[in-house]
Amino acid sequence: MGRDRFAKQSLGYLYPRIKQSRILMVGAGGIGCELLKNLVLTGFGEIHIVDLDTIDLSNLNRQFLFRQEHIKKSKALVAKESAAKFNPHIKLEAHHANIKDPQFNIEWFQSFALIFNALDNLDARRHVNKMCLAADVALIESGTTGFNGQVQPIIKGKTECYDCSTKEVPKSFPVCTIRSTPSQPIHCIVWAKSYLFTELFGTSEEETPEFDHSEDSENAKEIENLRQESQALNSIRQSMGSDDLARKVFDKVFKDDINRLRSMEDMWKTRKQPNALDFDGVSKGASGTKPSVAQHDQKAWTVAENFTVFCDSLRRLSTRLQTSQARSEADTAAPVLMFDKDDEDTLDFVAASANLRSIVFGIESKSKFDIKQMAGNIIPAIATTNAITASLCVMQAFKVMRGDLDKAKMVFLERSAARVINSDTLKPPNPNCNVCGVMSSTLILDPDRATLKDLVEDILKTQLGYGDEFSINNEVGTLYDPDLDDNLSKKFSDLGVKADSFLTVIDDDEDDPRVNLSFAILEKTLPADTKAVQLPKKLDIARKPKHAPAPLTNGDTNGHVTTSPVGTKRKRSLEEPESGLQQGHKRGKIHMPSKAIGFQDDGLVIADDSNDGAIVIDD
Amino acid sequence: MSLCQNRLQEERKQWRRDHPFGFFAKPVRTTQGVLDLKKWECGVPGKDKTLWEGGLFKLDVLFPDEYPTKPPKCKFVPPLFHPNVYPSGTVCLSILNEEEGWKPAITIKQILLGIQDLLNDPNPDSPAQADAYNLFKRDRQAYEKKVKAIVKDNPAP
Repeated sequence: MGRDRFAKQSLGYLYPRIKQSRILMVGAGGIGCELLKNLVLTGFGEIHIVDLDTIDLSNLNRQFLFRQEHIKKSKALVAKESAAKFNPHIKLEAHHANIKDPQFNIEWFQSFALIFNALDNLDARRHVNKMCLAADVALIESGTTGFNGQVQPIIKGKTECYDCSTKEVPKSFPVCTIRSTPSQPIHCIVWAKSYLFTELFGTSEEETPEFDHSEDSENAKEIENLRQESQALNSIRQSMGSDDLARKVFDKVFKDDINRLRSMEDMWKTRKQPNALDFDGVSKGASGTKPSVAQHDQKAWTVAENFTVFCDSLRRLSTRLQTSQARSEADTAAPVLMFDKDDEDTLDFVAASANLRSIVFGIESKSKFDIKQMAGNIIPAIATTNAITASLCVMQAFKVMRGDLDKAKMVFLERSAARVINSDTLKPPNPNCNVCGVMSSTLILDPDRATLKDLVEDILKTQLGYGDEFSINNEVGTLYDPDLDDNLSKKFSDLGVKADSFLTVIDDDEDDPRVNLSFAILEKTLPADTKAVQLPKKLDIARKPKHAPAPLTNGDTNGHVTTSPVGTKRKRSLEEPESGLQQGHKRGKIHMPSKAIGFQDDGLVIADDSNDGAIVIDD
Repeated sequence: MSLCQNRLQEERKQWRRDHPFGFFAKPVRTTQGVLDLKKWECGVPGKDKTLWEGGLFKLDVLFPDEYPTKPPKCKFVPPLFHPNVYPSGTVCLSILNEEEGWKPAITIKQILLGIQDLLNDPNPDSPAQADAYNLFKRDRQAYEKKVKAIVKDNPAP
């Protein structure tokens, strides 16, 4: 009995296509390990794995392709080795690299039949989304956080893309709360980690340039005072390694700064006033405490214990910084230390400092264990959630491969809802989306002679009929707009525009602007008697939708705003069968995933789609 | 193109077309001559008929990747003597605070006008530097004298 007998039986006509498919999986972490196992066992013919990360001890409880001996090795490579044993008939290729690297260009993305995202960050997700749209390859996007999971198939011009809806970002704390008026333990932890630690050991964010005020005016003195105050911690860095370092830091942040805050009386009318700590006083009380108390990470330390850990961890860190300073070359940037929740020295310092600040402000202290979670932004990752989500990815992939877009769903995994698995029909593209509501094209340019002016004059104004009001932008910023014309004579390379990067042309016409035009740069030596910048084919650029928000219909319209080059018709509705595949599907009577996981195929309406905008993250 | 960049491009366009008199706001240039839309150099003039009249105060406005969901950071360069400005120059203003008044619809023009208002109308409930705050509270005359000296040192062109 062959290993693929059951796959053949359940997948029918799709199975041979799966065997021949070349697919890409981005990310080999929590979801990635589960997903790779599913893909390999399903029998996808060739699977490429990209991950820039290495294996960490904390991954092993759920990323089951990795073992103790793999720690510090490439996730992509080890995942490939481990998963290859599950199925000898398929080809696996691993890339220990960043998916944003230029080697992974549009052409490379185009070489895959389907792409899976198993990522842990917004930035990489957005990048893959953009590349899949440019390459016109279907993407199965997924994410988990705690008990929640989400899977979203994305097909250019037919469904919403990842950026069609805005994503919530975690709230950050206002500077005033962190610096002057903390009221919760987390405020003190953020202060200790992002302010105190960084100012002492990292790259200061407070650096204010020196000012050369020749006149000795009062203002100059004032500015100098302010500058010194904001630089005070930075200058304490000079005494790194000296015996009185702990006293200096302690007096600055737990005494002088606190007394300064107290002097601003209005602040404390409605709040509890902080009480400064005295180094000598606390020091006396802590004389019997041993630094080894830092190992007791489950209980909230006393003032004396926090003080002892503060002094001891400060000494350890300053010794480390000095050692690396002594080792570094004179001409390289000064070495810095970074906070890392798994670095005991940095965690001890942040825990003790945060607690001392909590004591000053009358806030509850936390144990080192709790502080590690909070300071490290540890999001609980659950192996079961990842496994279920990864299986849902594959189910959605089958529907996309069959062209059954009306059956493909956005799937949510939730514990709080009435059902564990809920789904929603895929929405058509948002016509106002900045990412998929654009016209895409290649732009061929001769790197030796093409200038920005060639693009502005020959292509945009003459060939495409743009007026005077438009701008040209790349990832960095604006290269050209009506008030910025001194870049025109520059070559693209002098502007930092590289092959396989993108340029976006925004039409600022007052009456009827075109949709944004996104060019993927293709460098090529062009014959000297031809233009230095060329379009591969004629473009017909749609106009932006008028300001009334586009109605979201029930999936029976398609994204006609996502313009496509003339000649390739993309006006196919979601229901329309794609080259007879649907008939095959009917004939084969394949009725799969949904039944298997226990809900009705059609007509399932979810009451709660509040998860829509949530970012779900797993490492 | 990201939402952040798209929005900043729109802000630049609006500012180019129309901006309040006496203000300036322009994205900085990279060494290659490209405008870095995430960092703007701005100037806020003191309001007429106030202590701050005749001054022009420069600040850097830094936009995070999550803009406009998150507000930009506004920082006077050099730091300014003012009760609601941190010693580092960072402005403490409710509309720049994600948990208070920030809304994604707030434009750069509104931010700069808000900072202009703040100059002469400090908020004693959220002091950010002790020097200016304590002088403002305890010796108004000395405070005003100091502000006048600062205006003299930062004249509008």
